[in-house]
Amino acid sequence: MIARLQQLGRRGCDGLETLGRAGVFLALSSFGVPSREGWHLWLRQMHFVGVLSLAIVLVSGLFIGMVLALQGYTILVDFGAEQALGQMVALSLLRELSPVVAALLFAGRAGSALTAEIGLMKATEQLTSMEMIGVDPLRRVVAPRLWAGFVALPLLTVGFSVVGIVGGYLVGVEWLGVFDGSYWANMQASVDFLDDVVNGMVKSLVFALVVTWIAVFQGYDLIPTSEGISRATTRTVVYSSLVVLGLDFVLTAMMFGGLS
Amino acid sequence: MSDSPLVVVKDLHFSRGEMEIFRGVDLCIPRGKITAVMGPSGTGKTTLLKLIGGQLVPDAGQVLIDGADVHALSRKALFALRRRMGMLFQSGALFSDLDVYENVAFPLRVHTNLPEAMIRDVALMKLEAVGLRGARKLMPAELSGGMARRVALARAIALDPELILYDEPFVGQDPISMGVLVQLIKRLNEALGLTAIVVSHDIKETLSIADYVYVIADGEVMAHGTPATLDVDDDPRVSQFVHGEPDGPVPFHYPAVDFLTDILAAGEGR
Repeated sequence: MIARLQQLGRRGCDGLETLGRAGVFLALSSFGVPSREGWHLWLRQMHFVGVLSLAIVLVSGLFIGMVLALQGYTILVDFGAEQALGQMVALSLLRELSPVVAALLFAGRAGSALTAEIGLMKATEQLTSMEMIGVDPLRRVVAPRLWAGFVALPLLTVGFSVVGIVGGYLVGVEWLGVFDGSYWANMQASVDFLDDVVNGMVKSLVFALVVTWIAVFQGYDLIPTSEGISRATTRTVVYSSLVVLGLDFVLTAMMFGGLS
Repeated sequence: MSDSPLVVVKDLHFSRGEMEIFRGVDLCIPRGKITAVMGPSGTGKTTLLKLIGGQLVPDAGQVLIDGADVHALSRKALFALRRRMGMLFQSGALFSDLDVYENVAFPLRVHTNLPEAMIRDVALMKLEAVGLRGARKLMPAELSGGMARRVALARAIALDPELILYDEPFVGQDPISMGVLVQLIKRLNEALGLTAIVVSHDIKETLSIADYVYVIADGEVMAHGTPATLDVDDDPRVSQFVHGEPDGPVPFHYPAVDFLTDILAAGEGR
């Protein structure tokens, strides 16, 4: 019994220590002085985490929009309210599905790649040799990736929403025959820029920071063996997903739950 | 000033978890000489280099480079100090996303404001010194182990450091590239007046170039002297190591229970 308690306490202390290390890590790597060189590094990472995630995010957005319209239509048509389909699709996407699903896809596509890449650099002593050359790997390797993820995910989320709404239009209007004037007009009337669009973007910014932070930290902090890399990559995806879903609940409660 | 030692290690203690790696190591590395640190594998020779480079922090004791305590420096001052040292890693540790030329140019680009033409000249000079000017367009993945280590050497000397740390430079090399590396290390030391610390357990090669040798075992300096004095050292542990005898005071077997008892204890699993 005592041993159990001890173990629990030890776990708790270890967890707190890791959190502290992750905090110091974030502080040290995010305040790099921007330079021309840094700009180039950032652009290259934007290509890796942003542009290369575009395909999976947009295709998923299209299908999610189409499914939403299909499911929404079968429910709404019972109440004769199928004109409200545009409103339903747009609000679900902007408030919930785009930030959350894009973040989950991003964690799987870009987060795991970041962890594995930084982890392999650590395992092959590239980070150590960079330190010995007198270049801080936190600034040179971690900072561009952190900032690229932070900027790329919100942009991907916008793309997700746009494509999703078009997907809903294709299914709802072109296929199921909802009047296209009411699809767009209802959407226009019910979507509030501040409440829906901005709140969704705030969610996305928070998720971007957390997912990228977890990914680069797991890569930087892992045990440099092949087993360590595989474990850290798994941890990145698992932690990111859980944290995104948990934070989504908290943020939703704050934004739409009447807590404010 | 110039005849004072460049690196002084004072009463260094370091442990990893429960394992005590160093129990009071004292070293003195003179300027412009090749000093070798030798010892059986697993005695923490690489750890020693990381302590000197300030990547690990000792439990007690000091590392002074040119009079400055490495572990008392701020992060910024430490990075400034590291510009004056080069380190050759066992694996080479080339940046896998840059080609050979860019790897050698990397320290020049980040630490100097030289124009591109000058960077090119310096990088090609360094590559010429290691005989790989023709390989400048290759990626690290396309190099053999020996070539990667020579490129890494070119990168380590790109900024003309005062001190260069070699981590097991001869391990896993074929006889030819081993000979090339031995010559390179010697030549660089003679031509540029570099201070070098070579960590190795390849006795013949290391003794042929070192000016002074420290032998480390069990967390302490077991012996030190010039290669000639070590060769005739009477201490059985030193002589076992220097002459490469398989068994002696340093046992061949990892500590274990008696072999017969172990064999007869079947049924207890592993």
